Amino acid sequence: MLAQQLINGLSVGGIYALLSTGYALIYSLLGFSNWAHGEVAMLGAYIAVMSVIAAKLPFVASLALALAGAALISLVNEKFFYRHIRNNNSPTMFLMIAAMGLSTTYKNLIVVLVGPKFKYFPQILPFESFEFCGINVGVLDIFSIVVSLAAIVLLDVLIYHTKFGLGIRGCASDSVTAELLGVNVNRYILIVFLLAGGLAGCAGVLLGMKYTVYPSLGNVALKAFIASVFGGLGSIRGAILGAFMIGILETLVSAYVSSGLRDLFTFGLLIAILLIRPEGLLGKSVEQKS
Amino acid sequence: MLSVTDVHVSYGGIRALRGATLHVKPGEIVAVLGANGAGKTTLLKAISGMVPCTGEILFKGAKRPSSTYRLAGCGLCHVPEGRRILANLTVLENLQLGAFSRTDKRGVAEDLERVLTLFPRLRERLGQYGGLLSGGEQQMLAISRGLMGRPDLLMLDEPSLGLAPIIVKQIFDIIREISSFGTAILLVEQNAFKALSICGRAYILSVGEIVKTGAREELLDNQTLIQGYLG
Ligand SMILES: Nc1ncnc2c1ncn2[C@@H]1O[C@H](COP(=O)(O)OP(=O)(O)O)[C@@H](O)[C@H]1O
Ligand SMILES: [Mg+2]
Repeated sequence: MLAQQLINGLSVGGIYALLSTGYALIYSLLGFSNWAHGEVAMLGAYIAVMSVIAAKLPFVASLALALAGAALISLVNEKFFYRHIRNNNSPTMFLMIAAMGLSTTYKNLIVVLVGPKFKYFPQILPFESFEFCGINVGVLDIFSIVVSLAAIVLLDVLIYHTKFGLGIRGCASDSVTAELLGVNVNRYILIVFLLAGGLAGCAGVLLGMKYTVYPSLGNVALKAFIASVFGGLGSIRGAILGAFMIGILETLVSAYVSSGLRDLFTFGLLIAILLIRPEGLLGKSVEQKS
Repeated sequence: MLSVTDVHVSYGGIRALRGATLHVKPGEIVAVLGANGAGKTTLLKAISGMVPCTGEILFKGAKRPSSTYRLAGCGLCHVPEGRRILANLTVLENLQLGAFSRTDKRGVAEDLERVLTLFPRLRERLGQYGGLLSGGEQQMLAISRGLMGRPDLLMLDEPSLGLAPIIVKQIFDIIREISSFGTAILLVEQNAFKALSICGRAYILSVGEIVKTGAREELLDNQTLIQGYLG
């Protein structure tokens, strides 16, 4: 029972991590919470589900399409909205408001274009569950864990072990100086939106497969946002850690306490963290020293 | 190497630079001296394309690229005011970022060795976060980071700011050493006598205008003038 719940928690945590890392990346570069991020995931889920149901594409092709589509939508958000607001030297608050506007627009667009009804992925994996050492393991959960872990490990290597990642961390630390040192900051921001969008699209598809696809699917991104606050706003590794903690906590609370109290625990923990350790679990306090 | 002609910069209504003209020849150390608020930082920012300006800026005989991020790759490195060390990157990562535009791995490794020989204190701290260094170490790192771009012209904005006299002396000795390798240096300073101790020529900037220029000896002979402009 506990092992089963842990697997479930890891699969939820992995999905949250795909979203929270995107939040963290964008926050670390631009200093604002991208409230449209969940809707990018939702749109990714719709792209995948529609291309499977309506266009009868094979699942792998629809997944690829969803990642590419979500990445592109995320890019559009930056290139046609956020960038112009930044160039006007408007307060950061305007970026958040624009993101909220985009979020609502996308939700309504889907209601108008596709309709408000739930969409289901057909049975894609060969079977639903298998017995392993006496526990019943969901194939979808394993699939979800494998996909999200692979994406997260790749992202971590990219950010912390490549020259490209050094450029991103440089921009996040001080974009003016990074630019002086030779980093094409605007291009890096675009690439970060592409990356974050692709990860969100992946999360959307996994969520859609686990539950269903519906216009307000993106609301789960709130949990991912909390995860990134939890781990320390702007810290990629913190966002990963926070996501798995929330995923596992939620599953355990649902299973052993009450599913109705799930969110109470998550938000309670958030408030506790903000009170006790406002910089988050892995947040940098180094910055304040200099 | 660098030629700046009639450059103007305004911030809103404030005219921070009113027709600055100066040049730097290969291998020279040229100082720009001026009191706080004279427009020294603005001048360097204009050269780097960090603020919009009018006038002409030529680097190595051609118009300098309009995007700031391309300058380092062209051999123009700007060590900004206040050092601006990336606090949550390590010392080594700060240095690697200084070589960001370069693709010659061998040369970058050589230059890393060279700056660590110039500033042995950085070698002991390679794995530490930049934000944890002392002010003097941060200035050493900022200069080293600029050198990692293997510049033909290094622009330094007030390297002595906020540092103890003994550290300032060390840093100026090293600036002279860097110049002896053939790198041209444009040094912006409030600390006129320190700057005049190492430069060949200097310009005096006052309220956005270059009011006096001359060789080092000429300016040193004219102490009342310097005191007049620099307080
Ligand atoms: N970002 C800015 N916005 C408005 N005014 C500025 C800005 N930066 C500098 N100034 C003004 O321009 C003038 C020159 O500043 P600066 O170039 O920083 O001088 P210095 O480096 O010689 O101390 C000062 O009067 C300063 O107040
Ligand atoms: Mg200044």
